[in-house]
Amino acid sequence: MLVKYEFLKIVRKKSTLIVMAVSLILTGFLFGLPIMQYQIYNQDGVIKGTKGIAYEKEQFADLSVPLSEEYVAETIREVQGLFENPDNIGTDGNEQFLVGDAYWNGIAPREKLLNLIADTYSSPNDRWGYNHLPDLDVKEGKPFYQAMKGKIQTLLDSPSRALSDEQKEYWGGMADKVDTPLQYGYYGGWEIIISSFELLMFALLAICIVTAPVFSGEYQAGTDAVILSAKYGKTRLTTAKIAASLLFGTAAFILHVVVACGLPLAAFGIDGWNLPLQIANTTVPYPYTFLQAVLINIGIIYLVLLAMIGLTLLLSAKMKSPYLVLIILVPILFIPMFLTPNGTTGIYNLLLFLMPYRSAMPEFDKYISYQFGGLVLDVITVRAVFYAILTVIMLTLARLGFKKHQVA
Amino acid sequence: MELQLQDLRKQYGEKCAVNNVSVNLAPGVYGLLGANGAGKTTLMRMICGVLKPTSGNIRLNGKTVEQLGEQYYTHLGYMPQDFGFYPDFTAREFMLYMAAVKGLDKRLAKKRTENLLHMVNLSDVADKKIKSYSGGMKQRLGIAQAELNSPSILILDEPTAGLDPKERVRFRNLISDFAKEKIVILSTHIVSDVSYIADTILMMKQGHFLLQEPMSTVTDSIRGKVWELLVDERTAAEYSRKFSVVNLHHENDMVRLRMIEETAPGEDAQMVEPGLEDLFLYYFGEEAGRQEER
Repeated sequence: MLVKYEFLKIVRKKSTLIVMAVSLILTGFLFGLPIMQYQIYNQDGVIKGTKGIAYEKEQFADLSVPLSEEYVAETIREVQGLFENPDNIGTDGNEQFLVGDAYWNGIAPREKLLNLIADTYSSPNDRWGYNHLPDLDVKEGKPFYQAMKGKIQTLLDSPSRALSDEQKEYWGGMADKVDTPLQYGYYGGWEIIISSFELLMFALLAICIVTAPVFSGEYQAGTDAVILSAKYGKTRLTTAKIAASLLFGTAAFILHVVVACGLPLAAFGIDGWNLPLQIANTTVPYPYTFLQAVLINIGIIYLVLLAMIGLTLLLSAKMKSPYLVLIILVPILFIPMFLTPNGTTGIYNLLLFLMPYRSAMPEFDKYISYQFGGLVLDVITVRAVFYAILTVIMLTLARLGFKKHQVA
Repeated sequence: MELQLQDLRKQYGEKCAVNNVSVNLAPGVYGLLGANGAGKTTLMRMICGVLKPTSGNIRLNGKTVEQLGEQYYTHLGYMPQDFGFYPDFTAREFMLYMAAVKGLDKRLAKKRTENLLHMVNLSDVADKKIKSYSGGMKQRLGIAQAELNSPSILILDEPTAGLDPKERVRFRNLISDFAKEKIVILSTHIVSDVSYIADTILMMKQGHFLLQEPMSTVTDSIRGKVWELLVDERTAAEYSRKFSVVNLHHENDMVRLRMIEETAPGEDAQMVEPGLEDLFLYYFGEEAGRQEER
């Protein structure tokens, strides 16, 4: 009963409706932008928007295959064949490229796949495209999956990463769990979602804005004296306020996630949901499909949201005005946006990767791990544990804060 | 039923808002009088458990608030001064919400809500949002919520402030209706309000009680000291400088002065029956004047 009324208190406010409407429109705009801006080229020129998406999916129709060693070797040989004809080759002064029909027919329809194969053979600091494929001697035997494993090992051994033996073992073990051969296919919608996750921070801010008055609004309105002098004012009511805030936060978050994921998936299709992350980048160690990766990261962002609601409620219980709550909260949410990591180890970087804004970014290919004695945990696990603990602490303190509030 | 305040004290830094107040309260209506800043609201907040005393304790039937825990609050009904509402709630929703916070079961909550809204004459507008209510309607809703749990201790902080005379009379009658068998503490600086309904007067100044007297004898201390005198305007100005003038009323070219003095301030001065307002002005003199100016 109390939860119902507390929930009504939140949703009945005009400000709630305005903030949520603005936030949903903004989320829709930000996640819809890649659809509006999407463009792909063919021999006749540029194809934009949904027509471009349809064209790309058509190109991918023949590419939904397992990337077996034979398939990869054959693909490399085909590209090398195209490079054997000097008429097909153009140059920008430094590198050679295929031009004309050789490019439009032999490369363009599968350029993403060719770049993926080529880049798997590159050293960690290079970024290879299909034009490096002629450099590979397929006859000598250049097994694709051996190259993939080798590149991951080189990355782990890189002195700049400063990973401990335990951490290297952890990541190596995780990468070994990736099923091979990789199944290739179209994954456009999932790629957009994974690369745009941090844009959900605006939704988190909006939810915090709405929950900021949960306690402080009572102080500001002068209703605190009445409710705190009632039987359940310091006990069940506090729990109801917290529950209603979490309920509202969850409902609003689901709504935003539906918009954020729904738009790209409606436009690009759900194709690729069961394909491995490695078809976008072969050095990703997490053995997840695109759907699993998206769900896991949504789970992390949800935990960040819960902790931020907890922090908002704590500040709300301690401060006399919801505006003061936001003055503290906004920098916590958005200052990390302007801080750039300078590596993947060291206290600064490890803390930065746990900040709310950074936690919204999955960083699947960065090998960020935390070592506690002999125990190694990846950044996703640490974020989950960290924000779950933070939520419990914040909500407990918020509860105490309201209970001990003095009407003065 | 006995509410005991024992050496209750509230200190804010150097300032002592309530200074070792002790009183035993049995059922009845207590008019808590005092100028602004006398400590009335602070005292009431402490009784309601929303402000922790610096020292001292509050006992209900011999048990402290801490010992009683949640149980203590089931005896309380509180209407604070200038308390806010939820503007997007209707009166009925607000009452049901407060009933839930007070721990009333659903059926009783509905019944009490209907009865009380009827008593405070808000039944017709019970489903209208509170933001559309006038000040008087909000005050009536305020006392209705305080009565929801049929409290044995009813604390009303300046309940008639800002009401027009008609609403004040209506409100006084409501309080009288609710007061049966209860300890009602009514704070106000509108003296006439308490003079009608209070059984006992508690007068507060600078954080402590100056006076705790039954209404019937409260003015005894100034009996024989209240005088009225009809003088011309020039003499009136002189009297105002020399004596404690509590009222001044122009009658044609003359001025009727009401004064509180130990002895007759003039030959023609007539001793009159003292009122509660005289007593208030006797104790608060300049403070009350400042309050009026505000």
